[in-house]
Amino acid sequence: MADYIEAKGQKIEIDEDGFLVNPDDWNEEVVKIFAKVEEVEDLGEDHWKVINYLRDYYKQFGIAPMVRKLCKDTGFSLKQIYDMFPSGPAKGACKLAGLPKPTGCV
Amino acid sequence: MKVPLHLAKEKEAQAIGFPPVAEAEHQMRLLAEIDDYRKSARSLMVMLETCTKCGACAEACHSYLGTQDFNNIPAARADLFRKIYKRYFTFTGKNLSRFIGAEDFDAETIGKWVTYFYQCNECRRCAVFCPFGIDTAEITIAARHILTRLGVMPRFMAGIAANMAKTGNNMGIPKPAILDSAEFMEDEMREETGLEIKITVDKPGSDILYIPSSADFFSNIDTMIGAAKMFHALEVNWTIPSTVLEAANFGLLFNLDVMKEQNERLREAAASLGAKLVIQGECGHGWRAAKMYTEGATGPAPFELVHVLEYAYQHLPKFKLNKLPWRVTLHDPCNYARAGDIIEQPRAIIKACVTDFVEMTPNRERNYCCGGGSGLLMDEMMEIRMQLGKKKAEQVKELGHLDYLASPCSICKAQLPHVMKHYGMGDLKMGGVMDLLGKALVWD
Amino acid sequence: MLYFIGQVLPYIAAGVFLIGVTYRVVGWLKVPVPFQLTLFPAPRDGVGRISAVGIELLFFKSLFKNDKILWLWAWSLHIALAMVIGGHVVGIYYLMNQFTLIGMTPAASQTMSAVLGTSAGLVLMVALMVLFYRRISIPEVKRLSDPADYVDLLFLLSIVITGNHMRLPTVHVHLPAIKAYLGGLFTLTPVPIPTDWVFVVHFTLVNLFLIYFPFSKMIHFAGYLVNRAMLVEAAPVYPTPAGTPLRSPFAGTVPKPTAPAGYPAGTKGV
Repeated sequence: MADYIEAKGQKIEIDEDGFLVNPDDWNEEVVKIFAKVEEVEDLGEDHWKVINYLRDYYKQFGIAPMVRKLCKDTGFSLKQIYDMFPSGPAKGACKLAGLPKPTGCV
Repeated sequence: MKVPLHLAKEKEAQAIGFPPVAEAEHQMRLLAEIDDYRKSARSLMVMLETCTKCGACAEACHSYLGTQDFNNIPAARADLFRKIYKRYFTFTGKNLSRFIGAEDFDAETIGKWVTYFYQCNECRRCAVFCPFGIDTAEITIAARHILTRLGVMPRFMAGIAANMAKTGNNMGIPKPAILDSAEFMEDEMREETGLEIKITVDKPGSDILYIPSSADFFSNIDTMIGAAKMFHALEVNWTIPSTVLEAANFGLLFNLDVMKEQNERLREAAASLGAKLVIQGECGHGWRAAKMYTEGATGPAPFELVHVLEYAYQHLPKFKLNKLPWRVTLHDPCNYARAGDIIEQPRAIIKACVTDFVEMTPNRERNYCCGGGSGLLMDEMMEIRMQLGKKKAEQVKELGHLDYLASPCSICKAQLPHVMKHYGMGDLKMGGVMDLLGKALVWD
Repeated sequence: MLYFIGQVLPYIAAGVFLIGVTYRVVGWLKVPVPFQLTLFPAPRDGVGRISAVGIELLFFKSLFKNDKILWLWAWSLHIALAMVIGGHVVGIYYLMNQFTLIGMTPAASQTMSAVLGTSAGLVLMVALMVLFYRRISIPEVKRLSDPADYVDLLFLLSIVITGNHMRLPTVHVHLPAIKAYLGGLFTLTPVPIPTDWVFVVHFTLVNLFLIYFPFSKMIHFAGYLVNRAMLVEAAPVYPTPAGTPLRSPFAGTVPKPTAPAGYPAGTKGV
């Protein structure tokens, strides 16, 4: 039994953790829907900087970047990332960026 | 019955080679698998048959103490298996049924097995305190293995196994990302020390093959950096394999066929890179799998195998260290203290790297599990995970102010921040033991 | 009836006990131990292993660390049981004169034997009663228990009570007659069973218990050894020494192939 969200008039499949099943389904409306779920307040320029960075990295390398690299390259501290995305870089930011959920010992 | 875990969907189970068995065939297949297992591993029958139901295990188990759920008492948990085993495989079970503690398979059986065998952390603490040494982890390993053969497994495990098969690590990190991350860490180390400390990948002719946990390439990079600095200080010829950038072996945590496959990767990597010495990074169950299961899973191994903490401990006198002015305690990962023979080494290293080391109580082989053991890191299990971590939180709280909680295992590193935050110690810094070594090393 | 109890039942009991226990233990030992299950900290050599298992056996060390009250009664039960069984062997064979072997007078030996035997019998009885009470009064233990767990205790208790009964000053048991009878059983030269009814009941219960034994959890005496042996086995050595045989068929089989088809979304190509 699959779960769906509706964005831009289309049904988009999400998994049991609420992440996009197909990263290519991502669009800006998806971000807004996920932001509500992840209690991200006031989606702003900073959030988008992180989101775009994650999407670019994922497109290039097929995986989410190391947390510290994310911080370094976007200029935000880990605390700031948590302030922006309460669930954290893996479960919060990656979700909004349409990446699959990082799995393993994380 | 409602089970707290998200189970793998048909496609996901199939993808790793375990097509789900139709429900109508569950009983037949389950019994066939039990029959097969009991003829393959002595521990199953001996441990199921030797229990005298004294109940002494209850107070020894953090799972029972934290959840207060009767079925989390080790003997009761084992009984979920034992009752079925007795009914179908013993003379008294077949003929005397309930009298001797035998029960029929019914519609609830599989649900109960999933629910309770995935609330055991396979920590082996019960074995330490049982008069017979009955190790409920053995029963849990058997139960999970059998459930997986029926196509019943957590989605979390199936995903990790699929990642492992595809990329050789649990996170699914492909080689270009590994190289990019290695470069990033080299940059970080250069910035910090001014030195060119290299992290080479797949370098042929290396003497040492270092197997980090994949989490060391994502969230716990200080552990990787600590190891890289150590190897640099010792000027040894080392490399990491891209084909198995994974100290973990989740097969040990849900299916022994998968465990064997993953163990084979380690063997292949060592052979192809010609390394004589394999050093396992900070991963608890992965160390147990490598140390205790390699010979039995894939036969005689031609390489020397050592844990990074044992290696660091052996070379400890050689390091130039500036002690960190920190008050530090050690959480003994279960698979080190009870299953891996790594007990004094982390202590010696920590004492050499910090000014104030304090033991938690109890410690060593009597220490409590973090609550995430055996891969219980699923989000949907968070409430249960916090209950499983209750004893650990109590132990840490007792110590008062701490600058750092050393827990040299990736699962513990993933679980403990949640536990500490939940029990009001969210500011506590934590990480591995190699992290401390990395921070304490000084360079002329 | 008395003939059956006296001359047939004991052989059935001995046979079922010996064959039954052997069957169960061999059943375990036939199965390989595919992976070393060493529980650390572990002894490092053979002498260390034997002494660790021995000390654990003699003193119930793990239980002592865990639950001292349970230890007190479980350990007392087993020590008293060992004394009672040992006492039967030497006390009957030597007709209570066994302590003359260490220089006591026959009279002193008889007294010593009586005192030790009676004390052990009383401790054993009390321990069984306490453990029975424990089993019904602690909710978790009660819920863990199967009917057989209660029956085992009551069965033993009935044997011990009938045995203790023979220790009462008003009850006179003719020990030489018992020795002669038992001797006859061992040497296959039948001697009629003494007809003291308490002895007959006690002896019958013992034989029924021996028949019950291999089917029950009493097998834990053997399970203890087989299990502990696994827990103290030496950890693997790497590189594996030449000539080390494969531990089990598991080590020899080809790993199951995994085809990551229908791969869950998460990773792009390598």
